[in-house]
Amino acid sequence: MQQPTYFQHFNQTLWLSPERCIFWEEERWLIVSDIHFGKSGHFRKAGIGIPQTVFKEDLHRLVTQIQFFKPAQLIVVGDFFHSHINNEIKLFEKWRNDLASLPIHLVKGNHDILEPNWYDANTIVVHETQLVNGPFAFMHELPEEATTTGQYIFTGHIHPGIHIAGLGKQSLRFPCFYFGEQHAVLPAFGRFTGLHAVRPKKKDKIFAIAEQRLVELQ
Amino acid sequence: MKLYLTPGYQCIASWLSAKGHHAFPFQEEAWQHIVSSKSGLVNAPTGCGKTFSVFLGSVIRFINQHPTDYKSKSKNGLQLLWITPLRALAKDIGRAMEEVIEELGMSWTVGIRNGDTTQAERARQKKQLPEVLIITPESLHLFLAQKGYADAFKNLQLIAVDEWHELMGSKRGVQVELAISRIVNSHRKSMATKPPMIWGISATIGNLSDAKDVLLSAIREEGVIVKAQMKKQIVVESVLPDEIENYPWAGHLGIKLIHKVIPIIEQSKTTLIFINTRGMSERWYQELLNHAPEFAGAIALHHGSIEQELRLWVEEALHTAKLKAVVCTASLDLGVDFRPVETVIQVGSPKGVSRFLQRAGRSGHSPDAVSKIYFLPTHSLELVEAAALKNAIDEELIESKEPMLLCFDVLIQYLNTLAISDGFKPEEIFAEVKSTYCYRDLLQEEWEEVLKFLTEGGKALQQYDDYKKIEVIDGLYKITSRRIAMQHRLNIGTIVSDAMLKVRMQSGGYVGVIEEYFISRLEPGDCFTLAGRNLELLQIKDMTVLVKKSTSKKTIVPSWNGGRMSLTANLGRKLRETFNDVADAGKIMGSKNQAPELVHLSSLFQLQQQLSHIPKDNELLIEHHESKDGYHLLVYPFEGRQVHEAMSAILAYRIGKIAPLTFSIAMNDYGFELLCDQPIPVDDTNASELFTLNDLTADIQRSVNATEMARRKFRDIAVIGGLITQTAPGEQKKARHLQASASLLFNVFSEYDSKNVLLRQAYQEVFDQQMEEVRLRNAFTRIGNSTIVITVPQKFTPLCFPIIADGLNRNNLSSENIEDRIRRMQAQLMKD
Repeated sequence: MQQPTYFQHFNQTLWLSPERCIFWEEERWLIVSDIHFGKSGHFRKAGIGIPQTVFKEDLHRLVTQIQFFKPAQLIVVGDFFHSHINNEIKLFEKWRNDLASLPIHLVKGNHDILEPNWYDANTIVVHETQLVNGPFAFMHELPEEATTTGQYIFTGHIHPGIHIAGLGKQSLRFPCFYFGEQHAVLPAFGRFTGLHAVRPKKKDKIFAIAEQRLVELQ
Repeated sequence: MKLYLTPGYQCIASWLSAKGHHAFPFQEEAWQHIVSSKSGLVNAPTGCGKTFSVFLGSVIRFINQHPTDYKSKSKNGLQLLWITPLRALAKDIGRAMEEVIEELGMSWTVGIRNGDTTQAERARQKKQLPEVLIITPESLHLFLAQKGYADAFKNLQLIAVDEWHELMGSKRGVQVELAISRIVNSHRKSMATKPPMIWGISATIGNLSDAKDVLLSAIREEGVIVKAQMKKQIVVESVLPDEIENYPWAGHLGIKLIHKVIPIIEQSKTTLIFINTRGMSERWYQELLNHAPEFAGAIALHHGSIEQELRLWVEEALHTAKLKAVVCTASLDLGVDFRPVETVIQVGSPKGVSRFLQRAGRSGHSPDAVSKIYFLPTHSLELVEAAALKNAIDEELIESKEPMLLCFDVLIQYLNTLAISDGFKPEEIFAEVKSTYCYRDLLQEEWEEVLKFLTEGGKALQQYDDYKKIEVIDGLYKITSRRIAMQHRLNIGTIVSDAMLKVRMQSGGYVGVIEEYFISRLEPGDCFTLAGRNLELLQIKDMTVLVKKSTSKKTIVPSWNGGRMSLTANLGRKLRETFNDVADAGKIMGSKNQAPELVHLSSLFQLQQQLSHIPKDNELLIEHHESKDGYHLLVYPFEGRQVHEAMSAILAYRIGKIAPLTFSIAMNDYGFELLCDQPIPVDDTNASELFTLNDLTADIQRSVNATEMARRKFRDIAVIGGLITQTAPGEQKKARHLQASASLLFNVFSEYDSKNVLLRQAYQEVFDQQMEEVRLRNAFTRIGNSTIVITVPQKFTPLCFPIIADGLNRNNLSSENIEDRIRRMQAQLMKD
């Protein structure tokens, strides 16, 4: 595994992992977004043969990150699960059992449509709109009207990607961490997800994930 | 059996002579073969009675079998299956057939089956099939998706495939091959009678005999070729700009010459104006109306994104000579005869000799009439193509059509189709599939891989899997889920279009369809043009675009992402030869034999010569340029866009071995450009090394572009192979958790199941079609035997201009490490 990148933000220490998650050192929170567990299974159920390896490896990568950072809590900023219950989610349940001591918090995303008691049964604490802690707030999508609480917001949802153009009309695209003035966007953790190009402003910070390495662009 | 002695022939002959007609020799030849139960291919241009050469053969045969009661005999079951590539053709052909049947006093009926056939009509056909069924390849496969389909074919005598030259080189042709293999073999298995004959109808192509072999492969017959010895007279005239110096060096539109088009339209009864893309046809239509408002109501627009009803109206109006001109795209390329059409105008390069001939043949439709076609260049240099086309027509240099091979996507779709009707037994279908030309080299292990993919869905986690598609029930491969069966029915077909949205007026009324890609870049209030109307975007709701009429003068014309055609090998060669005539620029002025197009361009050639060089066909020209964009290396092989795409990648890779550089690549049909932010180390000492045949195959594999090319190919393959579900506009909502872009699927398969058959096919298609490996190798050989001329012009030259200006569709190739690359691009951005 590649080393995470150190990043100081609001006097907090954040470790950005090229595996597409953030470790918040002061709170020992591991923060991920848009895992979309069960997506390959959902497609397979409809007769579309997506290799299930993608799900298996997403699960393994998450375990590896948990073993590496040893977080106190796992925070999922929405779209933990892709759709309805299926057999892939059954495998997740088994995994959850093995790691029963790790508290998991989910800030609900538009894809999180499982039955409320399923989350209870798997000891996942569900936050309907947001989760606030110290200087930070976590919500899946940015609300249409600005919040007044004054926290810096972490979101997911859009699966941010950065488009880089250079001389000679070159262009490249990578998933990225985006840190704007008011809010940050986490890259999608799941590998069966697309990219949506973000257009950073001058003061924004962008960390592109290029071939398992983080490259700070601005 | 001698044709002349049969009652059927006598019946037809007397009917013809009563009308004052007589049969053409090739028609009688075809009838004789059909009476003798032979299969084959009829080669005839459109408008020469090719339809009757097969249709009347079928009628004669029926009369011979029922000499006494052929008139009264009805409900005979399906006798003739007529496969046609175009819906528009079906109506026309059906009408012609019905006329004959009526005049002969027979009781046959003619049915049409395609995407437009109503449910009621389908139900009627199910109860009692007509004697003649005119069908598209897609509808034929939908037919095979019905339970008990084999019964429908039990009386079938003949399968005719119209416009086979159009179908053969495409996946729709593969669909035809597969359907024929199924019909013929289901017949063999259940009936004592002989399976149906197969007859193809084809315009002239370079490889007619291959065309016949591909079509007849499944019945394992040699077959015959019947040729109509008719040569159509064609007159080609270029529309010449008055001042060549002021005509643009680059461009696609040609609108500047519109004032020369108006008199042409005025002078002939009806004119077809062929434009290469839908977007440009919208522009042309608008501009024609702006320049000649008196044409309002007398001209129309016809292309694939226009609402069906409107298109049918245009076609009807063409028949009845109500229209002065129609601006159209390839949508009017094929066979329908519009008799009033006297003149054709081709705007921009037709990219190939046969397409140009086909379009020319749209005018002067009776067998002895002259076809008149005008060539209108969209930029100056295109006039050279006009001269090359004229030479090619004189020499009858018609292109070949290469049949598609081993299309796993079509095979997967076909097996799903069989699985939703009666199910299939692998042993039986494997033998059948292998009897087709497309799959004759299919290996047992490939077949098993396909079956495995269909039943198990590739890499899975055993007990944690939900995959469900084809199930094996007592050795029979079947789809039992109604939902999956329904989804598959919607997905049958091999024509893949981009995600389309319906466009509807707020006040009601349907305008047409538009690509999601285009509309997603617009904001409410923006204006765009569709179907010749200026529309204002109001909102997008449930995959429908709501619009209202706009009076705004400024509108955006949609760009349709259709694949760009590439110059064919024949036309490329002719083009290179044509440059010989002008290579010595001084010679042009005096020579009398010079094509008018070339004389017209003489000032441009002089400039090219003065700044750089005019390449002869035994030379390869390379130019170095420098601009604020960077360092440009221009290479002019005149091999067509597709070959250039691969050749430029290989060259970039080979130069990259000299020094780590990143290139951005642009190309057109004449040549390509490597653009770099650092000087490009190519000179006399190493140029010929760059075009060596040594390690060519390995270098093709290594030029990373294959991945990007395969990614683009994968979209169609994924749709045809059923990985992407195509939903009718308005239905996306239901399947919203099943949306994934082809590009994302490509990534997932590349990373997690790189041996997947569909992924492998994408790469194979890149090598076979995109890179045209054989043609590429020939090009490298040719260049190896040529003299390489390198120049360093002080200004952009006429040859390089269209390529640099046309820098869309850039491809990148880098030999630098990715991090270095980003940092350096970054550093450059900072400097700005």
